[in-house]
Amino acid sequence: MDSLILELKEEIIKSLNLEEMTPEDIDSDAPLFGEGLGLDSIDALELIVLMERNYGIKLANASEGKSIFQSVRVMAEYISKNRTK
Amino acid sequence: MRIFIRSAAQISIQNPLCDEWFENPISYSQIHNRSIDPDFKAFIPVMEARRMGRVMKRAIVTSKSVIPEENRATLDAILTGTGLGSVEDTEKFLNALLKNDEEMLPPSNFMNSTHNTIGSIIALNFKCHGYNLTSAHRGTSFDTICFDAYLQFLKGAKNILVGGHDEMTADYFALFDQIGFWKKESFTADILKESSTKGTFAGETAVSFWLSAEDGGDSLCSILGVDLLYKPSQQRLQESLDTMLAQNGLSKNDIDAIVLNCNGDVENDTISREVAEAILPNVQQLYYKHLFGDSFTMSAMGLYISAVCLHRGEIPAHLIYKNGAGNKRPRTLLLHNHYQNKDHSFMLLSV
Repeated sequence: MDSLILELKEEIIKSLNLEEMTPEDIDSDAPLFGEGLGLDSIDALELIVLMERNYGIKLANASEGKSIFQSVRVMAEYISKNRTK
Repeated sequence: MRIFIRSAAQISIQNPLCDEWFENPISYSQIHNRSIDPDFKAFIPVMEARRMGRVMKRAIVTSKSVIPEENRATLDAILTGTGLGSVEDTEKFLNALLKNDEEMLPPSNFMNSTHNTIGSIIALNFKCHGYNLTSAHRGTSFDTICFDAYLQFLKGAKNILVGGHDEMTADYFALFDQIGFWKKESFTADILKESSTKGTFAGETAVSFWLSAEDGGDSLCSILGVDLLYKPSQQRLQESLDTMLAQNGLSKNDIDAIVLNCNGDVENDTISREVAEAILPNVQQLYYKHLFGDSFTMSAMGLYISAVCLHRGEIPAHLIYKNGAGNKRPRTLLLHNHYQNKDHSFMLLSV
């Protein structure tokens, strides 16, 4: 799980163009939206694309994202259970 | 009518946000050149900048550099000229479209891929709800938007931000190369005026101007007239200039130089020289693309260098294309631009 969390942080930095950040700057348990990393709705779309492109997970219902994108750790747990690639 | 250029800022292949090009211009011999960018982080918070392409960052930086903070939200208009818009984002989006079989497309690149994203992002940043228009009209995109600014002032506008913004990506450079836009042989910028071959060399444009109906005491110069002409005869060009001069109580003898869009392309430069010789024979001719390269909105740099020369009361020797009559301390300049001898424009400038 730790290696997936690290990989996910690196992908988030790359996809969301968080040039100034390193994986160490992202708290695995901090909220991704609002407080914490402070992402917005367009970032949510980017994360949906990232999940499908990298892990073959297609979110049928966009509202699922709210629970899946709680934190990097929650995302990683969801990916490890549902990934197809 | 007199429109005052209160301030101007540029990011280009010369050193950015300054006028070092005036005394010590950088000389280029490569065909494809990207701008020298300032430290964007000093102007735009990182979390805001992360979704912007380079052309947008440059537009924000030059716009912030010319418009004081207290004037940003109350601008009457934000007017943008761009030939290619946010082409880097457009390419990323289209490449993803091909690579991912039209699925899993990056939303940020899609949002940024329209031409008017540049003007929009400035308006969002400035919290300005005023008139916002983008002109995408190839080599006269900037001239067209200046004409719109002129019309807005006639309607009573007080303060307008006008910009010319274009980037040149590797892919687009290669496409233009296939249709003969660029020189094939090696060159140095200072010999462009003796060129007898087709093609020019590429630069990038990011120039912003604060135009105002009021002088404020610190203006660089003023715009006395703007005119756009489509496939004009020499007589029509002459009439346009005569009208502009008459409207301002001036004569041809008052013009100290004509600023041309010569870029080293023999066909382009022949047209420019013919226009200059026909309407203002014996008046000294200036050029600027040998310093900045060419792009669809490089005429914005023509306005920029003209404003700087008028403000300083000096024309550096490296801008002189052809010697002729004209005051050594220039007071009035005529800026001429054309694109493929179809669209022509004039701007009459004075201190």
